[in-house]
Amino acid sequence: MTDPNPNRPIPETAVEVSSIDFYYGKTKALDDITLDIPKNQITSLIGPSGCGKTTFIRCLNRMNDLIEGAQLTRGTIRISGVDIYDKRVDVIELRKKVGMVFQKSNPFPMSIYENIAYGLRMQSIRKKTIIDEAVERSLRNAALWNEVKDRLHSNALGLSGGQQQRLCIARALAIEPTIMLMDEPCSALDPIATARVEELLFNLKENYTIVIVTHSMQQAARLSDHTAFFYLGKLEEFGDTSKLFMNPGNPQTEAYISGRFG
Amino acid sequence: MESNSNKESSIKDILSPSPKFWGIRTEQWIKVFFFGNAWMSILILFLIAVFLFREGASFFSLRNGSHQLYRRAGLEFVEEFKLTQEHFTSIYRYLNEVRTNQINILREKGMSFQEAQEKCVEIEDYAYSFYDLSVRLGELTSELSDFVTTFRDQFLSNENLRDYQQTLVEAGKVEEAEAVQIDPVDFELIRTLLIEQREVYNETTTALVEDISSFRKTFPELPSGETQTIHSRFIQETDAFIASIPEHAKRLQEWDPDKPIGWSSSFTSFLFGRNWVTNSFWQDWYGFLPLLTGSLLVSAIALTIAIPVGVFAAIYVNQVAPSREQKIVKPCIEFISAVPSVVLGFFGIAVLSELLKTISGWPGLDWLPFFPITERLNAFTAGCLLALMAIPTIFTLAEDALDMVPRAHIEASYSMGATRLQTIIHIVLPSALSGIISAILLGFGRVIGETMVVLLCAGNRIIIPDISEGLGVMVEPVHTMTGIIAQEMGEVERGSIHYRALFVLGMFLFVISLTINGIAQRIVKRVKTTNL
Repeated sequence: MTDPNPNRPIPETAVEVSSIDFYYGKTKALDDITLDIPKNQITSLIGPSGCGKTTFIRCLNRMNDLIEGAQLTRGTIRISGVDIYDKRVDVIELRKKVGMVFQKSNPFPMSIYENIAYGLRMQSIRKKTIIDEAVERSLRNAALWNEVKDRLHSNALGLSGGQQQRLCIARALAIEPTIMLMDEPCSALDPIATARVEELLFNLKENYTIVIVTHSMQQAARLSDHTAFFYLGKLEEFGDTSKLFMNPGNPQTEAYISGRFG
Repeated sequence: MESNSNKESSIKDILSPSPKFWGIRTEQWIKVFFFGNAWMSILILFLIAVFLFREGASFFSLRNGSHQLYRRAGLEFVEEFKLTQEHFTSIYRYLNEVRTNQINILREKGMSFQEAQEKCVEIEDYAYSFYDLSVRLGELTSELSDFVTTFRDQFLSNENLRDYQQTLVEAGKVEEAEAVQIDPVDFELIRTLLIEQREVYNETTTALVEDISSFRKTFPELPSGETQTIHSRFIQETDAFIASIPEHAKRLQEWDPDKPIGWSSSFTSFLFGRNWVTNSFWQDWYGFLPLLTGSLLVSAIALTIAIPVGVFAAIYVNQVAPSREQKIVKPCIEFISAVPSVVLGFFGIAVLSELLKTISGWPGLDWLPFFPITERLNAFTAGCLLALMAIPTIFTLAEDALDMVPRAHIEASYSMGATRLQTIIHIVLPSALSGIISAILLGFGRVIGETMVVLLCAGNRIIIPDISEGLGVMVEPVHTMTGIIAQEMGEVERGSIHYRALFVLGMFLFVISLTINGIAQRIVKRVKTTNL
């Protein structure tokens, strides 16, 4: 999965994060993180619980704005060159560009069709043909179309756990983001469902920049091109997945990936 | 060694029985204590229900007895005379109204009261001579009324004497008991005398109809010049009166003092009765409708105000307000429910009703459907205050329901670029809807059971609100089920029909509240199961 050729061209950057500090009230959650997330590749974030991975990806679509007292105090995050914490940025537009899939699958208690149409309807798209087409495309991209095409109008909560998570991915794809944030998308899934989601992500990376938080070392190793290791709110190490797993430059990283703590 | 012996003794502890009191172990006692607390409240609820039904149930048989007496003593018969007389009087009142209007019109034209009155002498005389036509009927009616009520009262006092006699006998004073004089009512006499009156009624009314027909041919010239329309209205009214006479005559003809009262009639007359008349010298009526409609009207007004306020406040506090604001607003709204209702009622009488009446009199506001308000205390005043009492209930429960909306759904919605408003409308509200509905139902239960405020501020007029006035119905004084119980229960004779009637009202109130609460609980339960 990783590129065996060390001389490949340096990938384009999708997100430029430079020296950000992030606080929940008075508690510092992120400390001086600087990181370039490459375009159309999979970047995985690993680290023990509470190290700031989730906080970090929620900074990228400003979901942290919803939490009272949470704020970015220093540094910038640029997506295609635009500082997303600039006052002029429309958060709603930002979130349409940066989609998100959550740890626990959370389909709305509506039909499968309506779940996917939701994002479009919120953009006041009414035309049925456009929505129909988007639903089919997203479900195909999420490799769910064949399983649900005959019951698009039945309740999404009737799907299995793995299907629900793929539905959530499809739902995020429907609004055509360029970046996909995934917060432990497979943590509640069995190995078969996990494999299907991983396969899906691998296919998606052609068109999307994917940032995935995971607790599974194997998943990070299998899936991602780049890996970032977070520890106590700091970015300890960031680099090519193969290099980071084979030859970690930081003793903490080595201890973590070899299972000595965390 | 020592530790070993310790171990042994601790093992022996297991074998030794725990202490017992009266043969029951301590844990058992504790269990009984908790059990007692839990079931005590249920037992009390059960007792309340049983007691209400026991006290209320005999209302229906008592009412049948009272209605039977109404028929046998001839009150039912004489009622037709009274109704005829009343109908006639209402036409006379119409003529008087015409006169008052004329005077007002003239005064607006700049005449003094004296002058205006002089101009209207003709119509005044006309009205008086119209009234004189019914003198014969009026006399007849009052004679007959006196006649039948005397018999009725005699019958009732005989009943009392019989009770007294019974007590004497039970006390062993047989001689004294025999000395009590009871003069039984001669119902046969009433029957014969009243049956003769049928002919009298026919003669009197025929004469009256002839008088009216010749009388209404002339009509005085009115100073305002609307003579034509008012005369034709007068002819219409009298026509209606003349047309109603055969009906009364027919009912007089059909009157049979020995016809039994059907059982169902006591239920239907309660449920659909339009009058609640008590302590009347004529006949008491216990009709449920004016009180039920009064209660419902006041509740409807209260909920119309409280639902939007409570629900929107809950949405704001739960979804929009920063937590510092939440910490201020939530306890404040919840505090409203701590205000004693009698204080609210006092505020209603002293401040709100005056304020509403003053505001309603402002020029420029008369385009509003029910302004200006004529009655100071009315359903609207009471409704406003009840709304204030329902808001904390609706707010708190709706806020709980909103709180139960899974955060994951809200986040998912935001992550797809939905705005706050869109998220609230499409995700939060549908999820919390059943919770909100049950909050509203419980608010309704709170409102319909509230007593003090409606007793003080609703105006307490026992009449079915007149829907034909459109929204103006809101400012009519009404009486409510709760209010009337509170007002009259202290004054009734224990065990009397009136006392029982109030208990039946209580019974209905109990059933209504129970039903509302039951439905609300079912809805809440359904939400809990679907959200899991």
